[in-house]
Amino acid sequence: MAALWPDNPRLIGEGVPRLDGLAKASGRAKYPSDERPDGVLFAVVLHSPHAHAKILKIDTSKAEAIPGVKGVYLIANEGATVRYHGEEIAAVAAESEEIARDGCRAIAIEFEVLPHAVTEAQALAEGAPQLTPRGNTQAGRAQEDGDPDAALEEAAARIEGEYSIPVITHVCLETHGQVVRWDGDARMTVWASTQNVDGVESEMAGAFNVPATDVTVLTPVMGGGFGAKFGADTWGVAAGELAKKTGKPVWLFLDRIQEHLTAGNRPSASAKITLAADKDGKLTAMVAETAGTGGISRGAAFPLPYVYEVPNSRRQHTDVRVNGGNARAMRAPGHPQGCAMMESAIDDLAETLGIDPLQMRLNSLAEQDTVPSGSGEALNRTEIYREQIKLGAEAIGWDQRKSRADNAKAEGPLKRGFGMALHQWGGGGRDDKQVTCIINPDGSVELRSATQDIGTACRTILAQIVAEVLGLQTTDINSNIGNSQFPPGQASGGSTTTPSMAPPAYNAALEARDQLFKRIAGALDAEPGDLSVGEGVILVKGEREVPWKDACRKLGTMPINVTGNFSEGLTAQGVGGCQFVDLTVDTETGVVKLNKIVAVQDTGLILNIMTWKSQVYGGVIMGLNYGLFEELVMDPSTGLCLNPDMELYKLAGASDIPEIDIIPFDNEQMRKRGVIGVGEPPTIATAAAIGNAVANALGTRVPHFPMTPMNILNALAKA
Amino acid sequence: MPPEDHKAPADLPRPGHSRRDFLRGSSLAAAGAVMATSAETAMHEARADVSETDGVAIYSGTCPIELKVNGEAMSVTIEPRSTLLDTLRNRMNVTGPKRVCDRASCGACTVILDGDAVYSCTTLAISCADHEVRTLESFETDEGSVPQSFLKNDALMCGYCTPGFVTACQAWLEKNPGQEPTLDDIKQGLDGNICRCGTYIGVFQAALDAAKAMKKGGA
Repeated sequence: MAALWPDNPRLIGEGVPRLDGLAKASGRAKYPSDERPDGVLFAVVLHSPHAHAKILKIDTSKAEAIPGVKGVYLIANEGATVRYHGEEIAAVAAESEEIARDGCRAIAIEFEVLPHAVTEAQALAEGAPQLTPRGNTQAGRAQEDGDPDAALEEAAARIEGEYSIPVITHVCLETHGQVVRWDGDARMTVWASTQNVDGVESEMAGAFNVPATDVTVLTPVMGGGFGAKFGADTWGVAAGELAKKTGKPVWLFLDRIQEHLTAGNRPSASAKITLAADKDGKLTAMVAETAGTGGISRGAAFPLPYVYEVPNSRRQHTDVRVNGGNARAMRAPGHPQGCAMMESAIDDLAETLGIDPLQMRLNSLAEQDTVPSGSGEALNRTEIYREQIKLGAEAIGWDQRKSRADNAKAEGPLKRGFGMALHQWGGGGRDDKQVTCIINPDGSVELRSATQDIGTACRTILAQIVAEVLGLQTTDINSNIGNSQFPPGQASGGSTTTPSMAPPAYNAALEARDQLFKRIAGALDAEPGDLSVGEGVILVKGEREVPWKDACRKLGTMPINVTGNFSEGLTAQGVGGCQFVDLTVDTETGVVKLNKIVAVQDTGLILNIMTWKSQVYGGVIMGLNYGLFEELVMDPSTGLCLNPDMELYKLAGASDIPEIDIIPFDNEQMRKRGVIGVGEPPTIATAAAIGNAVANALGTRVPHFPMTPMNILNALAKA
Repeated sequence: MPPEDHKAPADLPRPGHSRRDFLRGSSLAAAGAVMATSAETAMHEARADVSETDGVAIYSGTCPIELKVNGEAMSVTIEPRSTLLDTLRNRMNVTGPKRVCDRASCGACTVILDGDAVYSCTTLAISCADHEVRTLESFETDEGSVPQSFLKNDALMCGYCTPGFVTACQAWLEKNPGQEPTLDDIKQGLDGNICRCGTYIGVFQAALDAAKAMKKGGA
């Protein structure tokens, strides 16, 4: 049987500082956008200034004539139609970025501007321009369970609610892009800001018809992806073409405007929900019409009724096409939207029934919600939720919560409210990834894999595992990842990276250790079975201590080089969590002040408590941005985006951050489950919990996210 | 830490034109090569090409300047419109400061200019000629230093905003030696910086720890 995680680990679980932390904090870490290979040219992308237009003519001659401009590449050609503000048209490479921008400005394009629809209302309006050959909508598969009509009739209470949440963008701080260098005619090095070095390698190899073995994609560190950076993209190909054309390395990163407009977004969501419960406050029926837009050609699906069991339900979903940039996966795709819609509705129903919304949630979870464990013991996630909710309610002070009616009667403009929401996620690993562990005769240890660290501390965690097995310190391990030529690594999506990569790292280290024992036992006058690992030493028969380096020297000249694979029992999937919010709303200004957020999260075996907490804090903060600030605003009349920047596109700053209480749901049973990813779950429920706390404070539902002064004052005016 | 309102005191000849002032003052801002009068002297000294169109002086071409970066005097050829950030990153290979918003909203580009934290994305390089620029690559990294405090508190994730936060902290500590800031002081001081990964909680603790270490060290 394959090995399980050690029972009494020395390093696993500890808050070990990041291996690349000091390099990042001292400006020495080289990000892909920092790479400046000899002779590098700077390239700039020209994007569509129109929401919808046909390109009649493109004249690049003036651009090419500018001194310093070295190459122009057309991404869209004459006759093509651009379908949103920001869609890529061309790229110009020049000796300086300033000159490349001049080059873009000098490209003369004759457009036939076409009618546009940039909002869902515009796209659905009578007489709207047809945006795709199949129209402006696409119906999702209808879902139906039980007999919702009869159940609605019999229900003790029901509400009809309408809720919505807008399109937001990833706002990766390092914009999308790469540096491409051709090494001769057929070999290519790409420094890419990506979550997927292996995927970029195969896409670039395909685009340029060179073997994947001759494409090296390097991502030693990168400045944020959140789901938006999996592919080579048109600009990756443009950089490759320009590098080929000019014979020089080409640096090409999007500007901030393009990052917002064309590099991905989280689709909007809206829901018209009829929700019903029996007299005890258990959900019995749901009828929902939902919609959302993922831009010009992507869907906007989200789960509903989400974490709850609703025996009778009907749902029809419609994707709406607009002249907007396409959605990409964004941290827990679909879940934050589904959570915001469903958690708003269940809260409103609890209010109507006059019962505690916490109780209604407990009543409405499936009796048995089975999730796996690496130990083989199946767990009931509903039981996990119950314990988590108890912890969260206590930490936020849920007993101080008053009903909406009481809060509405409170004196003065400042109203305090409490809200909560639940979420779930998968977070399991894939079984086809590998890690190589190398022990050199000088005692140095290296691990290699093509996976990448997008800020999750994957580099550090893998080193921690190897150090645990070999009796070393984490800093002793050269954790060499982010190179597509290394053994296949997991793309960083779906919270799958750590559960995919931790098992092969562990197995590689175990096998390397055993091979070391075999190779050096003779030189130590022992049998391999006599050897074991101590802290920085090899123990002979548990007693004689041979320092690690001395032991490795017995290897002679040949290093140990082992590639480890996945094995069963080390990972699981299926997590739950709950979040609670305490806030105050100023009913005169509509401004929300967060007082405290509590997040309770389970993710099986926690490998590094410090970086785990950072992930959860980060998830909560991204969620509070979603709940309070973020919205990509499109102008219906011009068809342009109004806030592709970082001042009118709002994100929380230091003063917006409240006290955040993170509670790891960590116990013996959880640790036995094995490794589960934590990147996504903690960002799901925050916005929903904020919306519910605002409703609780005001005594009325604010139906449209985010909880901005405008949306709050509008709701108060209607109440 | 607070990228402060960067106004040169009357008695100190200091770079006084940010890119924002510059664009505001130019009638053809989009052309990118039109100078506001406040920059003219520097331009002339820098020997950029000058021509006149409709009575507006247009500066173009390239010009060599001397920049003192991290204690080292360096020559670099820039354009009159080059920002300090792009000059550091693209022309001098000083890539610690990052370009994120490129318009003075997020602070990732923060550098210390003559002791003040400034947004280098909206500071013209030409206005910094003969002034002292410090980037985080020059900061101490030993025990108690700002970068060490960030490491120990896991005050970074992807790390792309981190240079700005570290520099803002460093500048604040240098401006307020021996002070032990409150959490609110720290928040206020860091309000010119934005993080997307959500590392603020660690950043606050890192700043508090670094301040404490600095006080203890008697710096």
